[in-house]
Amino acid sequence: MPLYFSEREVVIPGQLLSDNGKHGGEGTYVIGGKVYAAQVGIAVRKNNKVSVIAFKGVYKPQPGDRVIGIVTDVKPNGYEVMLSRHLSGNMRIPDRREVKSFNLKVGDVIYAKIKESGLRGVMLDPSDRVKKIEEGILVSIHPAKVSRLIGRRGSMINMIKRLTGCEIIMGRNGMIIVKGPNPKSEFAAISAIKMVESEAHTQGLTERVENMIKNIMEGER
Amino acid sequence: MEKPKLISEDGVRVDGRRLDELRPIKMEVGVLDKSDGSAYVEFGKTKVFAAVFGPREVHPKHLALPERAILNCRYHMTSFSVEDRKPLGMTRREVELSKVIREALESIVFLEEFPRTSIDIYVEVIQADGGTRTTGLTAASLALADAGIPMADMIAAVAVGKVEGHLVLDVCDIEDKYGEADLPVAMAPRLNSIVLLQLNGRLSREEFQKAMALAREGISKIYQMQREALKRKYSSVEEG
Amino acid sequence: MPMQPKKSLTVRIMQDKIYRLLQQGKRLDGRRPDEVRPVRIETGLVEKADGSALVSMGGTKILVGIKAEVGTPYPDRPKEGSFTVNAELLPLASTTFEPGPPDERGIELARVVDRSLREGGALDLEKLCIIPGEKVYILFIDIYVLDYDGNYYDPSLLAAVAALATAKIPRYEVGEDGKVEKTEERFSLQLTAIPTTITIGIIKELLLVDPQIEEENVLDVSLVVGTDEKGNIVSIQKNSPGLIPIGLMDRITELAYEKTEELRRKLIESAGIPLP
Repeated sequence: MPLYFSEREVVIPGQLLSDNGKHGGEGTYVIGGKVYAAQVGIAVRKNNKVSVIAFKGVYKPQPGDRVIGIVTDVKPNGYEVMLSRHLSGNMRIPDRREVKSFNLKVGDVIYAKIKESGLRGVMLDPSDRVKKIEEGILVSIHPAKVSRLIGRRGSMINMIKRLTGCEIIMGRNGMIIVKGPNPKSEFAAISAIKMVESEAHTQGLTERVENMIKNIMEGER
Repeated sequence: MEKPKLISEDGVRVDGRRLDELRPIKMEVGVLDKSDGSAYVEFGKTKVFAAVFGPREVHPKHLALPERAILNCRYHMTSFSVEDRKPLGMTRREVELSKVIREALESIVFLEEFPRTSIDIYVEVIQADGGTRTTGLTAASLALADAGIPMADMIAAVAVGKVEGHLVLDVCDIEDKYGEADLPVAMAPRLNSIVLLQLNGRLSREEFQKAMALAREGISKIYQMQREALKRKYSSVEEG
Repeated sequence: MPMQPKKSLTVRIMQDKIYRLLQQGKRLDGRRPDEVRPVRIETGLVEKADGSALVSMGGTKILVGIKAEVGTPYPDRPKEGSFTVNAELLPLASTTFEPGPPDERGIELARVVDRSLREGGALDLEKLCIIPGEKVYILFIDIYVLDYDGNYYDPSLLAAVAALATAKIPRYEVGEDGKVEKTEERFSLQLTAIPTTITIGIIKELLLVDPQIEEENVLDVSLVVGTDEKGNIVSIQKNSPGLIPIGLMDRITELAYEKTEELRRKLIESAGIPLP
C-alpha cells in the first residue's frame, strides 16, 4: 500500500497517511477513501493497518482493567470512587448489609477491577479482590504512559522495582502506589516514574532511568 | 493623536515589514503542567497562552449531551495586556471572541468520540498587539493537539488588514487602529476550509479576494510552524 | 454570603506518608522541610505593562503586571499616590479554579500581597504625587496565577516586588494650561523596602515551608508570614482552617525570618533590584 510517512514518524492531526481507506487503524480517520492522522503521535504500520500511537490521550476504561481510585463518597448501596481528575466510577454492592464490611471511608485508596463502562458510567466490581491500600505514596501519571512504564514484558517496571527495592502497584488509569524501605528508595522510584512519563517516546530511556536511579540511591540525601 | 504614516513610499510598514510579511513568530507546546495540553504563541508583541482540560465529566450533569462532548472556550485578556488598563472580568468583546473561537474549534474536533463530557479551552492573552483572536486560535489548536484530543486537522489563523489602501498580512495594533479594514481568517489547511471569518471595515470585492489569498499564504506558513513546534516537543529529549 | 470554593480531597495514605517523611526530615519531592522550591524570575516580558514579572516557584507560575494611571488622591492623604492589588486564579492554572469573578481565595491572595507591600513600606507614596490634593499616580498591580502547584502566595509577592522594582512609569507633568499631561519620559519607582513572605505548613508538631499541592492538601493548617529587611514582621495570614499550637509560634517566627531573608536575597540577585 502506498504510505505517506516514514516508519515511526511523529505525525500531527490532518496529516495524510495512506491512500487506502481500508487501512485506517487507531488514532486515524478516513475521509474520501484516504487515511489521516487524528492525533499527535508516532505513525506505525501493523497488520495491514496504519495507526497513530498517541503521545497523550484519554483513558477509556475497559472491563477487566485493574485501577486505583480514591473513595469520594460513601452511599447506602456502595461507593463513589475518583479514578482520575476527570473520571469517577461507582462500586455498587448488591447486598446493602455488606457495604459496611468493606470498611471504606472518604479519602481511602482502593485497588479494584472495572466491571463495565458504558452509558451508566464506570462500574467497579465489588466481588473481585477489592483491596484497600493501607500505606504508600500515591503518584498520578498520564494513563497513556502506563504501558511504557510497564515496558516490554514488564521490563521497565521490574527494573525500577529491582533497583529501588520498592513495591509498586499500578492502575491502568494512571494512579500508582509506591511503597519502599526508606524515603530515598521511594524518591528514586517516584523520580523514575516521572521520567518515564515525560520521556516515554524517546530512545535509550531504560538506560537513562537506570542511571538516574543509581545516582539517587548512591547520593547523600 | 494624529494618524502616523504607516506605509512608506517603497512599501515598508511601521515595524519594518514588507506588505506580505508575518511578524516574528514563536511557538512552544506543553508549557503549563496542570492542564492536559497547553501552548504559548507569540506573533510579534502579541503573546498568548492556551490550555485544554478534558474530556472530563460535566458538572452539573444535566448539561451533558448524550451524543457528543461539549466544547467550552474562554478567551480572556489580562488587565495589562492593552494600552489602557482593561477592567477585570469579561467584556462584551471577550464574550464574542470566545464564541467565534469555540465555533472554529468545534468544526475540527471529533466531539462525538466523547459523549457526556466537556472539553474546556482557556485562551489567555498576556499582551495584545493586534491579531489576538487569530494568535489565540493558533495556540488553542496546538493545545488541543498536545492534549491528545482527536481532530480532523490543525487550525492556523492570521489577520489581513487594509492600511492606507494596501493589503497587509498579519496586522499589528497600530495598523488595526488606523487602518481601513481588519479581516481575521482561520483555516483548517488540510480540509481546505475556513473555520473563522470576520470583517471589521470595508473592502471591495477585488480587495476581499486578494486579502483571502494573502491570508492563505500566511496560514500555510503558520501551519508549517505549528507542525514543527509539535514535532520539536516530542523529539526534544531524544536529541539532548 | 460568599460561597466556599470546592475543597480538595484529602487522601488518607498521603497524609500519613507526608507526616512520616517529615519525621525523618524528608519530603515527597526530595526537599528538606525548610527548603523552598527553585525560584525563577523574569521581568519586563509584557512591554505594554509599565512593569511586569513572571515568577515560577517549582511548578507554580505567577504573572504580575503593573499599570499606572492618574487620579485624585484620597481626601485624608492629599499628598500621596496609591496602589491597588488584584488577583485572578485563572482556570488554566488548575482544575480547582473556576472561570468568573475572583472567589474568596483570589481576594485573600490580593489582600495579603497588598498588606505585605503596604505595611512593608515598599513604596514611598508621596513620590507618586503630581499636584497635592488633585492629581496623583495610581498603580494597578494585577496578579494572575498561570500554573498552580501549591503556594501561590510567596511567588505572587516576589513577582509584584520584581515588577515594581523594574517598572518604568510614564511621567505626567502639569502643562501651561494647568492640565496634567503624559510625557514621553519614564521614571523608576525607587523601592523603599523589599518585603517577602513565606508560607509555612504544619502537620501535628512539624513544620514545612513552601508546600506543593500534594502537601497543601493534607496540612493541618498553614500561615503566611511576611517580613522586611529591617527585621519587622509586616504581614501574617493564617490562610486555612485548623489549629496552630501556641507552643510552635517561636519556631514558626524563627523559620519565617530565615526563609523570607533567603527569598529576599534571591529576589535582589535574580531580578537585579537595587537595595533600598
